[in-house]
Amino acid sequence: MDRFTKILSQSLRAVIAFKLRTVFCLTSVALGIASITVIVAATEGAFKKAYDIVAIFGPDSLLVVSGSDEARAVGQRQKTLTLDDVEAAREAFPSAYVVVPLTSNINIPISYQDKKTQTVVVGTTEDYSQAWTWPVVQGSDFTVDDIRGLRNVALIGQHLVDELFGEEDPVGKYVFVRRLPVQIVGVLSSRGMTPTGANLDDRLVMPITTMMTKLQNERKYVPVFRIRFTDQQNLEYYANELKLFLRERHRLPPGEIDDFKIISPKEIITFLVALTGSLVVFIGIVGVISLIVAGFVLANLFLLSVKERTVEIGIRRSVGARKGDIRLQFLGEAVIITTLGGLIGFVLGIAASQFLTMAAQFPIHFSWKAFAVGLLLSWLVGIGFGLQPAARAANLKPIEAIRG
Amino acid sequence: MDLESAQSKREVSTMPLCRLAQVKKSYHIGEVDVEVLRGIDLQLEQGEFVAIMGPSGSGKTTLMNILGCLDVPTSGEYILADQEVSHLTDDELSVLRNEHIGFVFQNFYLMPYATVLDNVLLPTLYVERQKESASKKRAMDLLDLVGLRERAKFKPSQLSGGQQQRVAIARALINNPEMILADEPTGQLDSRTATEIMELLARMNERGKTVIVITHDPTTAAYARRIIQLKDGLIVA
Repeated sequence: MDRFTKILSQSLRAVIAFKLRTVFCLTSVALGIASITVIVAATEGAFKKAYDIVAIFGPDSLLVVSGSDEARAVGQRQKTLTLDDVEAAREAFPSAYVVVPLTSNINIPISYQDKKTQTVVVGTTEDYSQAWTWPVVQGSDFTVDDIRGLRNVALIGQHLVDELFGEEDPVGKYVFVRRLPVQIVGVLSSRGMTPTGANLDDRLVMPITTMMTKLQNERKYVPVFRIRFTDQQNLEYYANELKLFLRERHRLPPGEIDDFKIISPKEIITFLVALTGSLVVFIGIVGVISLIVAGFVLANLFLLSVKERTVEIGIRRSVGARKGDIRLQFLGEAVIITTLGGLIGFVLGIAASQFLTMAAQFPIHFSWKAFAVGLLLSWLVGIGFGLQPAARAANLKPIEAIRG
Repeated sequence: MDLESAQSKREVSTMPLCRLAQVKKSYHIGEVDVEVLRGIDLQLEQGEFVAIMGPSGSGKTTLMNILGCLDVPTSGEYILADQEVSHLTDDELSVLRNEHIGFVFQNFYLMPYATVLDNVLLPTLYVERQKESASKKRAMDLLDLVGLRERAKFKPSQLSGGQQQRVAIARALINNPEMILADEPTGQLDSRTATEIMELLARMNERGKTVIVITHDPTTAAYARRIIQLKDGLIVA
């Protein structure tokens, strides 16, 4: 064995020999690392969740919402986007492979035979399934003719199928939407719940033309439209172009705020990450504080230990240990303890996140990154706070140390 | 040829091991400088058995510290293993101690949390690179020599004072140094055990080690063939 290994094995022996010191340092480091692990995992979880949602939203998609930010903030429904805007956008952007207007109403009564329920009704064009990357699993999507002819046809979500039809095949059957008879032509694949608890499968989708004229008494305005581009890389560029295009169509003078809003995947990510962000910041502060406290606990216990072990240091020096050997030994003791603490903390962190996920639907994602960050931080604490005690041990004068 | 090598061997054995010339050592105590050693001239040959005696405050301990390279003179020369010790760095002094000097202390100074064997092996930790198995074998041989082979796995606290001091002697010998420096080696022992320890040191001396004992006890000093009396920082006899 070389000198380095021999001295580190001495560190290990001291870690085992001075149990009380080891246990205290270990515990405090482990708690700090545990909370850091949770943060890293939560941050990663938030990003992963955000990207999952964007994948559903469509990474090449933009959503244009009618009304200015200010009007929406006070709950006002400003009607500014028209079906003509949607058509114009379709023609102006050849690289947009999907341009879909959307309108929706909640709590619409719907019935099949003697079964009644309420659901979300969405009005759209034939591209709905494509616009939302939401495949139709049974039957088929509605067609251009359905849109043009204002036909009473619809797609329904899995949840509604269960509610109204049970085991029965819904395709071809008629349901009443309010008092309007509508034929089911297809079933959408199951999407499950959103993080806020809404069931995405509880919906009925019909041609926007049918819905506007027969349910909403509306001829011109749509609240939302969706647009997808073939080259995803330039999405932010298109977002800006679309903004300028709509401003011009709405004849907004420079300085006037937009009377619509364009939502891009980037914005969704920013929003979702900010949502979990506050909790992450809170745990983060707790984690950093507890890690600093752990550092001070370590430094103090080590200083005490150096004082107690003055004679040991004197003996080692007299048999030929150099200053650097003593420093390495004590630093080694600190780093061994914090490494162990880091590993224990990581396990604790996993346990704590399991709890968080259960209790608060908190998205947690573990990867080697959380592990690496934890380990790195525990080394940092070990070296950072072990340095001073180790230096003090190394700088003891042999003749004084040997007298105790 | 044989004669020649025998001749040179004898020459080696009477070569000076170390030499002190006008060594002075002073300490600052508060505002004043206290001169503890006031000009020591001393030459020790290889294989000598020397006792350094003197009343407390005579500078015995300071002289031992300097001989043991734990401290350096304020002025004067100390030559050990062909090196002028006063000019060496802290690291170089450590290496010198590691290779050339074995210490035996009044309070044994074993590491309480290490086994007897590991205590004996302690100085080998600070040797750059060596075969572990070889050092272990050597340590066991030394424990055999001091009669404690069976206690190799014991902790120091399980041994009597005399046994602990024997472990310390084995530790002092492990790196095969020329010089054994014993500071009141019998101070904590009853007279029978003290005799055992001094006889052990005498045996080491017969095997060619230079043994230097610092003591105020005439019985202990009686084992030495040369007695150096210290008084007020000077050699008086």
